[in-house]
Amino acid sequence: MAESARIPIVAPSVSREWSSANVSAIPWYVWSSVLAVTSTTVGLYWDISWHIGIGRDTFWTPAHLAIQFGAVLTGLSCAYLILHTTFAGDPAVKEASVKMWGFRGPLGAFIAAWGGFCMLTSAPFDNWWHDSFGLDVKILSPPHVVLIVGIFVMGLGGIILTTGRMNLATGETREKLSWFLLYSGSLLLCLLFMLSYEYVGDQTLMHSAIYYRALGMVAPVVLVGIGRASGRRWAATILAATYTGLWLAGNWIFPLFPAHAKLGPVFTPITHMVPLGFPVLLLPGAIALDFVFNWLADRGGFWKSAIGGSVFMVTSVAVNWPFAYFMMSPHARNWVFAMNEFGYSFAPSDYHLAWELHAYEQTRAEFWVGMVIALVATMISVRLGLLWGDWMRRICR
Amino acid sequence: MILLFVPSVAFGHVGSPNVYFDADAGPYHLLFTVIPPAMVPGVALVQVRVTSGTVNSIGIAPVYVNGKDQGVPPAADMMDPVPGDPQSFTGKVWMMESGAWEVRAEVSGTQGVGKVAVPVPAFARRTLPMQKALGVLLFGLMLVLSIGIISIAGAAAREGVVRPGAEPLPRQRRLGKIAMAVAAAFVLAILALGNWWWNAQAADLKQTMLYSAPPVRVSFDGGDLLTLRMDENFWHKIRKEQWSMNLIPDHGHIMHLFLLRVPAMDRFYHLHPEQANDGSFLVKLPPLSAGSYKIFADIVRGTGFPETMVSEINLPDVAGVPLSGDDSGVDASAFNSAGQTTDVSQLADGSRIVWEHDGSALKPNQVSWFRFRMDDANGKPAADLEPYMGMAGHAAFVRSDQAVFAHIHPAGSVPMASVMIVQTGGGMAMDHNSPQALPAEVSFPYGFPQPGDYRLFVQIKRHGRVETGVFDTHLGN
Repeated sequence: MAESARIPIVAPSVSREWSSANVSAIPWYVWSSVLAVTSTTVGLYWDISWHIGIGRDTFWTPAHLAIQFGAVLTGLSCAYLILHTTFAGDPAVKEASVKMWGFRGPLGAFIAAWGGFCMLTSAPFDNWWHDSFGLDVKILSPPHVVLIVGIFVMGLGGIILTTGRMNLATGETREKLSWFLLYSGSLLLCLLFMLSYEYVGDQTLMHSAIYYRALGMVAPVVLVGIGRASGRRWAATILAATYTGLWLAGNWIFPLFPAHAKLGPVFTPITHMVPLGFPVLLLPGAIALDFVFNWLADRGGFWKSAIGGSVFMVTSVAVNWPFAYFMMSPHARNWVFAMNEFGYSFAPSDYHLAWELHAYEQTRAEFWVGMVIALVATMISVRLGLLWGDWMRRICR
Repeated sequence: MILLFVPSVAFGHVGSPNVYFDADAGPYHLLFTVIPPAMVPGVALVQVRVTSGTVNSIGIAPVYVNGKDQGVPPAADMMDPVPGDPQSFTGKVWMMESGAWEVRAEVSGTQGVGKVAVPVPAFARRTLPMQKALGVLLFGLMLVLSIGIISIAGAAAREGVVRPGAEPLPRQRRLGKIAMAVAAAFVLAILALGNWWWNAQAADLKQTMLYSAPPVRVSFDGGDLLTLRMDENFWHKIRKEQWSMNLIPDHGHIMHLFLLRVPAMDRFYHLHPEQANDGSFLVKLPPLSAGSYKIFADIVRGTGFPETMVSEINLPDVAGVPLSGDDSGVDASAFNSAGQTTDVSQLADGSRIVWEHDGSALKPNQVSWFRFRMDDANGKPAADLEPYMGMAGHAAFVRSDQAVFAHIHPAGSVPMASVMIVQTGGGMAMDHNSPQALPAEVSFPYGFPQPGDYRLFVQIKRHGRVETGVFDTHLGN
């Protein structure tokens, strides 16, 4: 097993005593949870692509169905898991559960069920919002926030469900579960980057502090938190690589499907699904983060956060800054880098705007203040990741 | 000098948002009904009745008219034939912005393909209060989710890291309670924040999206001059960059001004102010009797977006100047509120206008042809009708409380200025605008938006004189 010897498992005795007999295979609900988060993540990518390229939707678009399938699958499987653990589970399973409202079940099942329930709640809310205030003009409307919170909590529940089982397992099962955990973590990264798409999805902001503020806030907490929970030495690298691979797969597979704009005015004719743009160059920062964490294994959280956060940010800026020039160049206007892909509402006369770097901050001072904020945010994000990861390493129910 | 100021009352197109449009699409003759969305962005419902020709399919696509680069329309959607009525079709188009739109229709049938464009103004008219049942459901879901997340936080802190089979220690139980208290505070904070944000979002959307007609100040100089000063409100200000707010003439006039004495609705004037250099609109009043007058002022923006400003003014007896040109008016009896339908309007010279209705009950939002025939003093169909401002006739449909006012033409409810802007696809509105030998009958397609008592003013020009017929009717639920 590739687990780092320098990162101690908080409850190793528990796993040795309890797990070998009771967690000997990947439980069905871990599969189900991973499937649910995958479906919702793909659905969300699909939905954003749908809005950029096709424009018009109903509740019953395949993208929406994929999102809500995750909610329904999570809701049903967690409800079954909780009911089964409460009423028909064997004592050993019951012992590894938490109690809530008279029911028993794994902690992650309660969390994921809550997320799924939250997502389903958003549907009638959103429907009324559309009737009352018009069809979607912005992503962050109150019902959408309910949906987004639900999606993240569902994903978090799946991660905790997997972590809880992983912490009780040994050997090959633990190894496999840690891969599930890393995969779920990379989906969480995809979701977070979709949420901050306005900034990190806009390559013209790659020389603006806002880009690095968003990156520093959302990525390290997952890289460190999930990485630490997985116990692997190169977890952040694996997470970033998987995120990059998944996003690129989306970028390269979706355009293979035909699509036509259904909303006007159409300024760019649409012939296929529009990709969401090249993924954030996260990998170099993640590799640097792994290096620092392996090097500082015996140091406290403060030093890990300060040095880890700084190295992550410096590396990310050092790589993304020159990469921005490439992305603005004609060499990036191809299917690999997708800088030649535009939504229906983007006029050809405005294409040049997508190929020129823009300063989000109006003055140099604003930029540097923004960069300082980005650095501090990254350190805080790393620190939160450490706290979260350490807690997850101790979960055994 | 008497100066009377009355603040404007902002009604969005005065209670009659549906578009009725009678048009040719190549060899086919169609009657369109477009029900614009109540909130924008929203979905407009399009209904087509084929009145001439055999049509197999109709594709419709919406195009936003902003006076700039229009791009190309999105892929057309095929309309669905109405079951049991193969020459009626229904479909939907999405309208994402407030302002002037056109619905482009491509009609295929036995005589080939025809095209027509229907101008449709889209503007948000209302927000929807939450239905009680949905409110109860969402409140219940919110309670379950709130209590759920507090309980989860407690369970996570109390038992999450307790090894299987072991009981939580007192310290962990205490931790569980602390976690629940923190989570409860967090939930309350989130709910408070969410409530504030929701209200802020809703208020912002109401302010930016809900349409209201431009405010208009009306003043009377005590002689015979009426002045209207049009202002702009927030809705218009924030859209100035997006589309042209310039005014364009409709039937050769920059404004069509209707004065209606209320509550009797017994004096009706259709006047055409001129715009002065300072932007105000000036018109000399005809001789009229004192009273309270409701004012409806129709204008058309540069994109073809029509607006009706509403105001009211108390006027004294005015000596005025005789009606001339396209200005017209009528002295009528007081509105008949008994719910009886009048079908003959006797005119001063012995001629009359007859409403040729078939006696069937009118229903709200259902399009009908309102047919009127001009008989001469001998009771024969008049043979000397002339176009009135380029049309076979004009009509105003007014509800007794003036909450509905619609200015209709034989081509429908759309101003001809809007039609001219969108007619690039080859389709033609049926304006019955033949310079000679107009038939004695004039028809208007329209559907009353709401039940109530209505007065109809029908204006037809006959050898140089505009005649106004007055009809009352009642529309049940």
